[in-house]
Amino acid sequence: MAKTKLSIAIPSKGRLMEATATLFERADLGLRKVGHERGYRGALDAYDDVEVVFLSASEIVHHLKAGQVHLGVTGEDLVRETIYDVEREVELVVPLAFGRADVIVAVPACWIDVTGVGDLEDVAAQFAQVHGRRLRVATKYLNLTRRFFAQKGVSGYRIVESAGATEGTPAAGTAELIVDITTTGTTLRANHLKVLDDGLILSSQAQLVAAHNAEWSPEVKARSDEIIARIKDAL
Amino acid sequence: MAAESVSNFEALEIQAAKLLDTFKTAGYEPVAPSILQPAGVFLDRIGEALRGRSYVFTDLSGEELCLRPDLTVPVSLLYLSRHPEADKEARYCYNGPAFRYQPGGASQTHPREFRQAGIESFGIADREAADIEMVLLASAAIRQTGLDDIQLRFGDIAMFFALLDALEIPDRWRRKLRHYFWRPEIFHRMLRRLSRGERPEAESNIADFARALDLDDFDTAQAQVDAYLKERELPLIGNRTLAEITSQLLDFAADLVADPLPKEIATVIEYYLAVSGTPEESIGRIAMIARGAGLDLDEALQRMVRRFERLEEEGIDLARARFAADFGRNLEYYTGLVFQIEIPTLGEGSPLAGGGRYDGLLKHLGAPQDVPAIGCAIHTERLLAVVQGLR
Repeated sequence: MAKTKLSIAIPSKGRLMEATATLFERADLGLRKVGHERGYRGALDAYDDVEVVFLSASEIVHHLKAGQVHLGVTGEDLVRETIYDVEREVELVVPLAFGRADVIVAVPACWIDVTGVGDLEDVAAQFAQVHGRRLRVATKYLNLTRRFFAQKGVSGYRIVESAGATEGTPAAGTAELIVDITTTGTTLRANHLKVLDDGLILSSQAQLVAAHNAEWSPEVKARSDEIIARIKDAL
Repeated sequence: MAAESVSNFEALEIQAAKLLDTFKTAGYEPVAPSILQPAGVFLDRIGEALRGRSYVFTDLSGEELCLRPDLTVPVSLLYLSRHPEADKEARYCYNGPAFRYQPGGASQTHPREFRQAGIESFGIADREAADIEMVLLASAAIRQTGLDDIQLRFGDIAMFFALLDALEIPDRWRRKLRHYFWRPEIFHRMLRRLSRGERPEAESNIADFARALDLDDFDTAQAQVDAYLKERELPLIGNRTLAEITSQLLDFAADLVADPLPKEIATVIEYYLAVSGTPEESIGRIAMIARGAGLDLDEALQRMVRRFERLEEEGIDLARARFAADFGRNLEYYTGLVFQIEIPTLGEGSPLAGGGRYDGLLKHLGAPQDVPAIGCAIHTERLLAVVQGLR
């Protein structure tokens, strides 16, 4: 059965959800939950032909990629990490100016011999000689890390996947350096890490994203344009 | 997703049986290394480029495993489990699947699941003889499928290392140039930088500190670094030792005051890496470069001469073969001869077989010492497609 309704995915928790709710309020869209308090369905007061689903920010990316929703609010870092060919699958329609975070390469602050990404390959060579293995990079951003290091010609490393508390891994000895998000740098400093001079991989923020793979009927497209315009006005 | 791992299953099995027969007759024992491999030790060796294309997962007990993306490491681990002292000669052959993610999507020419048939030999002290044996056997195995129009491509990592050893340059540069052989872009950038005498970040705070280090006494320098870190309350985390950090800083400090790399030396390196042609032409070129620069490369050159003489005696048509000094098959564990078997229509990018010497790998995998090792793998689907195309 063809989908006739425009569907929008909204972050279901945390600061992204709060900021999105505030934005939709300013745009006078009347975002609300329907049914059970802990349910994940929602609606817009402004349009009764729009479906809202509440999902985690990373699930939203998967739904956008698969075309299961038309629009979604999520972090640019997650979009670029999860989707191999971003331009082919989705369009980043409106940067939303919240959820700002930088994806960066950070190394132990005691590595005073390392200031830029270019130094890493030298250290990797030395490290392999002394320890008989590669430098380990703890991160949840596997693809962003690989692409960035490939661009910079760094190859003597291996990734260890880290789901949380990534910034603690060098002190714990389970990794030598990290790729992670940071906003103020306080957590990094507290963990005795420093960002490399040219170690900024991505300046990320929340984005309103459109899915190329969703079914776009003229009605859905028209409704989507209206909502995008109202959100732009509200920024 | 393809429902069949291979479309010509029966023909492929017949071909594999023939290949294995050739290997067995030559004294290679058939083995079946595990398809599921421990991810850690394995992926540490092959690097993130191939790791990025490996299927890695965690099983129910939490163990990190991967589907083997290649068979050289699994066969090496098999040898080490049979001979933990790595003190025995062994010749193995195999035929089995390997798995690689294809970033552009899987296709006929780049399948995500493919079968490799190959040979590896370990512990054979006569490296020259083992090198010859490997090239001849791989060529013979491909020839017996009916394919005659094959070309060989050679490289020699040991020759490049011999050149670096013969040059009068600081050890720290030699080390880096060795490491960067597999990263041509950084390699040439570094060579340009060194010969222009450019000093990166000569103005930074850390440069001032590096200049103040005692260049002649490592212990004093290390104490200076220790004091610097303590004063700034920077604990030593990240598994690198004070000595490692000190030694990098000393390299950096030495670069700050070093004379530029002489133009002639940079030119010799560039000329060497540009050598390419038939083996005979290449040997002539390298000998000329060595003579012109007054370098003694006789030992490595003689080794190359003997290798190609032997191959010619054994009936390999070297007039059609190519040697390229910068050819390293993009696998960092190679330490000597590397080679590919190609056909003119497919060219260098799609070899039918490829292999090389990797004397350092087994120690990294846990052997008590370096072990002479060389191997070669055949892309069986590609070979079959070519052979069937002939008919």
